[in-house]
Amino acid sequence: MATEVIMPKVDMVMETGTFIEWLKKEGEHVNKGDPLYVISTDKAAIELESPADGILAGVNAKPDDVIPVTEVIAYILASGEALPAQAATRPVVTSSAPPAAEVAAVVEPAAAVAVAGEPGKVRATPLARRMAQNLRMDLAQISGRGPRGRIHKADVEAFQKPELPGERLSVPAAGLAPKAPAPPAIPAPIPLPDARRKQVVPLAGARKIIAERMAYSAFSAPHINLSLRVDMTEAIRLRERVLEPLQAQTGQRVSFTAILARAVATVLPRHPYLNASLSDGSIILWDDIHLGIATSVEENLIVPVIREAQSRTLGQIVTALADLTERARNRRLAPAEMQGSTFTISNLGMFGIETFTAIINPPESAILAVGKLVDTPVRSGDGFEFQPMIQLTVSADHRIVDGVAVARFLDELKSTLENPYLLI
Amino acid sequence: MTANNNREITYLEAVREAMVQEMRLDKDVFLIGEDIGAYGGAFGVSKGMLEEFGPERIRETPISEAAIAGAATGAALMGMRPVMEIMFMDFLTISMNQLVNQAAKMRFMFGGKCSIPMVIRAPSGSGTGAAAQHSQSLEAWFVNVPGIKVVAPSTPYDAKGLLVTAIRDNNPVLFMEHKLLYRQKGPVPEESYCIPLKSAEVKREGRDLTIVAYSIMVPRAIEAAQKLAAEGIEVEVVDLRSLKPLDTDTIVRSVSKTGRVLIAHEAPVTGGFGGELAAVIAGSEAFDYLDAPIRRLAGRDVPIPYNRNLERAAVPQVEDIVTAARALAQEGK
Repeated sequence: MATEVIMPKVDMVMETGTFIEWLKKEGEHVNKGDPLYVISTDKAAIELESPADGILAGVNAKPDDVIPVTEVIAYILASGEALPAQAATRPVVTSSAPPAAEVAAVVEPAAAVAVAGEPGKVRATPLARRMAQNLRMDLAQISGRGPRGRIHKADVEAFQKPELPGERLSVPAAGLAPKAPAPPAIPAPIPLPDARRKQVVPLAGARKIIAERMAYSAFSAPHINLSLRVDMTEAIRLRERVLEPLQAQTGQRVSFTAILARAVATVLPRHPYLNASLSDGSIILWDDIHLGIATSVEENLIVPVIREAQSRTLGQIVTALADLTERARNRRLAPAEMQGSTFTISNLGMFGIETFTAIINPPESAILAVGKLVDTPVRSGDGFEFQPMIQLTVSADHRIVDGVAVARFLDELKSTLENPYLLI
Repeated sequence: MTANNNREITYLEAVREAMVQEMRLDKDVFLIGEDIGAYGGAFGVSKGMLEEFGPERIRETPISEAAIAGAATGAALMGMRPVMEIMFMDFLTISMNQLVNQAAKMRFMFGGKCSIPMVIRAPSGSGTGAAAQHSQSLEAWFVNVPGIKVVAPSTPYDAKGLLVTAIRDNNPVLFMEHKLLYRQKGPVPEESYCIPLKSAEVKREGRDLTIVAYSIMVPRAIEAAQKLAAEGIEVEVVDLRSLKPLDTDTIVRSVSKTGRVLIAHEAPVTGGFGGELAAVIAGSEAFDYLDAPIRRLAGRDVPIPYNRNLERAAVPQVEDIVTAARALAQEGK
């Protein structure tokens, strides 16, 4: 029996499709699975395969015909078979009949679109992927000429050298979806300095992970950075008061990081967008505050996590922090203890750094950078007095949170630290 | 090199010459099989050998492949170097227990205290109208048996050099001789020489596509390559020569160069050696250079038909290789 070739329904809401071109001639032999014709929906051009082995016959679709889905547009005949009687009578819905030049321009058999329900996935050969990676190209920007839009080496090369006008023109607005927007300019690889090399360290292991995460965060999350100064007079007093009792209780000296951690864990629940993650198009506001404490171990950044910091007392935070840092330095932390933070504190005060901005530790929405305690002159009456101050800088993901919200958080953190008895 | 190096002889004569020269050299080498004496073997490979070496060394057997394999295994165990001829590869099925459970395993099970230096010569393949029970290519069964090596030469030169190596090897070697290749002529030096196993050869160089082949598929691939060259498609043909041990380096180097690979064999596609080759390539350095899917062109999953047209259609022919290679070379271009 003759096999029908139809206008397929390639997505749920599709009612008609625009016929683009036949990839085989009428009367030509085709094998099942051979690329046979190209249609376009309002989303993409799609290449379709022959449903059977045989001869292409009874062709009644031509470029730019708009055809209802499931309408028969040709038949595949087995040898000796005749066309069914009802063939060749399909009424064409509309035919925009563009100038011949435009029709001729429709030579691209397929767009780089995965046909069968694989959104976001790009078909490409391993070689094409490797080339694109080396050239820092985004494969999604490249249209493939292979079966079902698969990207081959030739496509990557063609994309690298933009085609001259007249070759493989993109299709005019009528019918076809607009082409992908022009890709961002890709910088040519930057030549390395002509210098003697002391050492070449492979980018591997922890360093590689840090590199990937930080680049991802820096280039995907638009950072906003807000700073203010906090008078630490009262916090210092508090620390002095609790130092001995807490040392007796925990065996550890209370650090400013611990006091800051306690303050952040107290204030953060009222600023949920700073304790949040962007995932799959949603913003997840976390109830728990898993507080990451950035720590440097042998040149590598690790972030041990104080889990559920919102429900820990200062003493418990001191204990947890001492335990985590000690084990981090001895490389005894389990991976789970270094992941899953919802907010991170990075303190470089001990290195004399007064102020800095940090890169958000993904998938968090904000990070707090803490500077050194500095005796700072502050106007007082006609003269001035010195106050021990630190600078706090919050870097936040502007996709999730706006400057005002960050400012409110910083302001509340400041007043809490300046009146730390609220923490008790 | 002497003037004789330009001498051309057939694949069949090359096989015979290797045996004759090795038997002259080493008294432990002998031939055992059916109808190999006065009759000269079903294909005439051993013609004249009875006259030179006598019935002790050209040992005719009853029609029992199990007995041939058992006797050869026992002789090898006792220090002889038997070459057993199985008239059609199909009948290896009858000798499987001796080969698979005994010959292949003894060296390992006795901790290396014995070795089984034997060669199993077996005419393989279709194309002679010999139907389903006399036309098979069973290499895939044997590559899956640790302890047996598998060799499948495609030219007279390779047949001689590989057979000498196989006879001198201290392990069981299955030596596949394609029936359609027996009459092929080619240059073969008169003096003895060895071709090491695990030394695939690039039989034809090309930049666009690699065809990995062995046995009869090599000359077919070369012929297909010549046709495609007229269309501007340059095909590289890699002849494996030995399937086990496998020279993966040559394959990977070639596929990394061309980025496209067609694997051709006559045996049925399902469970065939091509699957192993595809896995080796996909798991290798060559993966990053692949610019099209790895493709296999192999026999259909049917017993070889008696009807000549159907027999031809059951296994890849030159035109099939041309079509498949052209499509693969043009994919995405």
